[in-house]
Amino acid sequence: MDMNIETPEDQNEENSRRVQVRFKTKLKPPQKVPSNSIAIPSNLTRFGLSSVVNNLLQAVNPEWKSEPFDFLINGELVRMSLEQFLLAKGISAEKVLEIEYIKAVAPQKEEEPSLHDDWVSAVDGSNPGFILTGCYDNLGRVWKAGGVCTHILEGHCGAVSSVNIIKSDGLKYVTVATASKDQTLRLWKFDAEELVNHPKKIRSFKILRGHKASVHSIAAETSGNMVCSGSWDCTISLWRTNDSDAAGNQVSIKKRKGNNQVEEPQLEGEAISTLVGHTQCVSSVVWPQQETIYSASWDHSVRTWDVEMGKDLSDIFCGKALNCIDIGGEGSALIAAGGSDPILRIWDPRKPGTSAPVFQFSSHNSWISACKWHNKSWFHLISASYDGKVMLWDLRTAWPLSVIDSHKDKVLCADWWRGDSVISGGVDSKLCVSSGVSIQ
Amino acid sequence: MRERKKSSAVEVSSVKKKKEKKTKDNNEPREQKEKEESQSIMKQQKNTTSRSKKEKQRKATEDYQSLRESELSGDEVHGTDHDVDNADDHHEEDQTDGSEGHRGVEESDSSEDEVAPRNTIGDVPLEWYKDEKHIGYDISGKKITKKERQDKLASFLANVDDSKSWRKIYDEYNDEEVELTKEEIRLVQRLLKGKAPHTDFDQYADYVDWFKYDDALHPLSNAPEPKRRFIPSKWESKKVVQYVRAIRKGLIKFDEPKEEEPKFYLLWGDDSSAAEKANHLAYIPAPKPKLPGHEESYNPSLEYIPTQEELNSYQLMYEEDRPKFIPRRFTSLRSVPAYENAVKDSFERCMDLYLCPRVRKKRVNIDPETLKPKLPSRKDLKPYPVACYLEYKGHKGAVVSISTEASGQWFASGSTDGTVRIWEVESGRCLRVLEIGEAIQYVAWNPLPELPVLAVSAGQDVLILNTGLGNEEEQRRVKDLLHVETPTAPDDNMASIVSWLQHDKLDGIRLRHFKVAFSPLSIFSCIFVLVLDLGLVEDHLLKNLLLALMFTLDGVFGRMASQGRLPLHGDNLIVGSREGKLCWFDMDLSSKPYRVLKCHPKDITNVAFHRSYPLFASCSDDCTAYVFHGMVYSDLNQNPLIVPLEILRGHTSSNGRGVMDCKFHPRQPWLFTAGADSVIRLYCH
Repeated sequence: MDMNIETPEDQNEENSRRVQVRFKTKLKPPQKVPSNSIAIPSNLTRFGLSSVVNNLLQAVNPEWKSEPFDFLINGELVRMSLEQFLLAKGISAEKVLEIEYIKAVAPQKEEEPSLHDDWVSAVDGSNPGFILTGCYDNLGRVWKAGGVCTHILEGHCGAVSSVNIIKSDGLKYVTVATASKDQTLRLWKFDAEELVNHPKKIRSFKILRGHKASVHSIAAETSGNMVCSGSWDCTISLWRTNDSDAAGNQVSIKKRKGNNQVEEPQLEGEAISTLVGHTQCVSSVVWPQQETIYSASWDHSVRTWDVEMGKDLSDIFCGKALNCIDIGGEGSALIAAGGSDPILRIWDPRKPGTSAPVFQFSSHNSWISACKWHNKSWFHLISASYDGKVMLWDLRTAWPLSVIDSHKDKVLCADWWRGDSVISGGVDSKLCVSSGVSIQ
Repeated sequence: MRERKKSSAVEVSSVKKKKEKKTKDNNEPREQKEKEESQSIMKQQKNTTSRSKKEKQRKATEDYQSLRESELSGDEVHGTDHDVDNADDHHEEDQTDGSEGHRGVEESDSSEDEVAPRNTIGDVPLEWYKDEKHIGYDISGKKITKKERQDKLASFLANVDDSKSWRKIYDEYNDEEVELTKEEIRLVQRLLKGKAPHTDFDQYADYVDWFKYDDALHPLSNAPEPKRRFIPSKWESKKVVQYVRAIRKGLIKFDEPKEEEPKFYLLWGDDSSAAEKANHLAYIPAPKPKLPGHEESYNPSLEYIPTQEELNSYQLMYEEDRPKFIPRRFTSLRSVPAYENAVKDSFERCMDLYLCPRVRKKRVNIDPETLKPKLPSRKDLKPYPVACYLEYKGHKGAVVSISTEASGQWFASGSTDGTVRIWEVESGRCLRVLEIGEAIQYVAWNPLPELPVLAVSAGQDVLILNTGLGNEEEQRRVKDLLHVETPTAPDDNMASIVSWLQHDKLDGIRLRHFKVAFSPLSIFSCIFVLVLDLGLVEDHLLKNLLLALMFTLDGVFGRMASQGRLPLHGDNLIVGSREGKLCWFDMDLSSKPYRVLKCHPKDITNVAFHRSYPLFASCSDDCTAYVFHGMVYSDLNQNPLIVPLEILRGHTSSNGRGVMDCKFHPRQPWLFTAGADSVIRLYCH
């Protein structure tokens, strides 16, 4: 059965070529179209294809509300007209073309920005219950949702440069770690479920000293027992996070005499080991598995460290100073890193001779300040840049899926939240939450 | 007539005998011998078989007689002689005839045809001479006059009288009467009879069969022709196959066909190639004269002829420029006058040849492109700053000076708005603003990372300020260092110049200068290794131009950088001068600059070396900064390699000033530029 679907585009160009296509999907039945092959004009773009699918769905289900879709041919997203795509990829237009459609990945809604007092330097959205941000006003903040601040982490005497939520399953209290330019790391504990109508100020329960220069990045182990930090003193230090039973840790109770307030006891911790090898500032660390730490540095290298041995296993040189790194994608093995140029590079360390990146995304205009993989999808990642844009990437196409342009100045940090939102903070002191990103 | 000849055939012989008689008188003894011979011949004549021989002899005698006759005919007395001899008897006739014939055989074998005719007019119709007095010309060119014609009657009577008249024939050609001999008449008679003219020719001779048929009944062999006569040879074909195989295998090789040299050559071509052919090493062909063209023709086409106006214009020209030859037209070649300049021209040609250069002038043929120094590609010299990604905004006035911290995390900038700002490099955040109050001239960060202290020169003072960076311990040390309890005890030398004071507002020390210090030397800038010998300064080329070198009472403040950290033997120094000249001095080499780069159209405001990368930069008031690759080799024989890499633009001009300062990031190949437009830019690779 052949159906000719009249779309707004092809009314203009009656005599354009037609291709036989069959739509297929992995989506659930209400979004499934009958698997007949239909003839559509070959000059349709993504928008045209999307309206074709929506028309088909409406034909089956009259109450269907149209929704944007994205289309995959041979595992590549269609980003030009069908004709051009077939020509570029050398696919025959004679056969019945199988087009898979997925829901378009783009933020649907811009939530209320969370206003800070100063530049938002770090953000972590790994806990679906709250967002943790670090700020240049030396404070860390916990946000319940867009614009709702529940806790303020007070205690650093330098700008907070990095924050990390330490995984703590089943515990009532959530432990978080912050790194600051005052050369210390602090660990904090708070009850995320706690209902407060006024931001509650909390103090750190542990201070980790030992870096000789400002700490730039922090990452927690998957089990939550340890954190690692990268610093301007070119080292990566490993720290324990457990509070009370640390036998060797010297407990210093600081009592401020002149202060009326009764201070909580503060623990101080020392680095249990230091990974030395980078020659310049370690700008970013990630700790995706128990035994390996990935670090990016201004000495233009990405290094993989064995935690047990304390040595670097491999290094990738890219020629540019790197600012951010993240591990994810296929098999949680791809390394995405951005730095002092507008190119987001992705390496596959499993490939032999991995000096050349497997993907390069270069739609940004300035330094890339952050990049994060989606923790479920193999294909999606976000990047934030000093040009004020957060871009959503799919490995299957060279163009960004969407550009979030909600910041007015440099974007310093970005992360995923709850799997369907992109959170980002920047020089305009705002934490922007773009929700409704549907990734299966 | 014919009948008459026939009838008187007998008489012919008698006439001959009479002629013979005359010769008999001349040589008597010989006649005797002849007689005997003739007798024997007579006997032979009787033999019929030797008929032909006799005939031959007879013919020979006839020839002789005719010759005699022709000799005799020249005389006028010819006819009378004959008449006298008439009376001789007829007996002797046969005898003499035979002896005569013998003699003829002996003496001459010539035929009648070889007797040259008396007349030489050739084969022309005789009618031409019909009306002339002469009949022709003899061999010496004299005219042969015609004989007087006898009238018919007289001739008739003469013929009647003359018994031999019937034998006479009138030869028209020679105009004479020829008396036929007896032999001749006989010959005529034979011809008339249809016989062969000579008697000795046997028309019907016996057939001589030269082939022997005795025992040759059949050919040599009666066997049938063998088959091999008709089929191609097997051995030949084998041989051919052998050759074919050998050729295919390449065992037999044919000679290459010789390339034929062209037999023709360029006739009017240049003689330049002739020098190669000549054996002389320094053979110089003589200069060729100009070949004549159409205009030198005696009758050239009209377009070659100059008009009167052109001729007049020639008169106005200098003699040197005037054309040497003016084409003219002549009706014919004969009317062409002698060339008046012939002598002059040949003299000049001789002079040309004489004065022609004897030494070949070697012309150096060099492609100007090859004279350019071979510079490596810019791609190979990466990394170097290329594009501006970060801008540091906040100053209100022109940024005059910048200085980076040793690790490259922060940098400080001083501006004419009276503030010093400390910036974070990676984020572009201004960490601190230090209000000085006076226009800043220079800022310098302490190169020691343990003491984050900043030196600032503003107005007449040098300030040493705490940046407030670093941890508590470092801050404590800095505070100790920067604490000045009381004004220091007056030193004899220093007191008059400098006093140490605690800064009243900021955390730091103020060094107050009492004399007017133009540009006080910042004490912390130990990166500035001043390698300055006086010989350099006195170099007259730079003496007045160096903005960089200024002498004050305090010392020398050079706005210059020296390459202190690179692995080098000896010092290299770059100096930017006021008119935009950038000089690279190799201090070990000479006091003259090794390279002068004239790149900026306006004043160079600062120059900088990178501490680890082989880069240096210059910034200028034309709002640009230039980045160069400057590689110094440890090998002393190798000159430093200087390659211009990039022009960095982006700053805007303000009050005629452009980029005021440039500094490299200490660890990255990045360049900070401070602009008069109050913006600091970071150019990254």
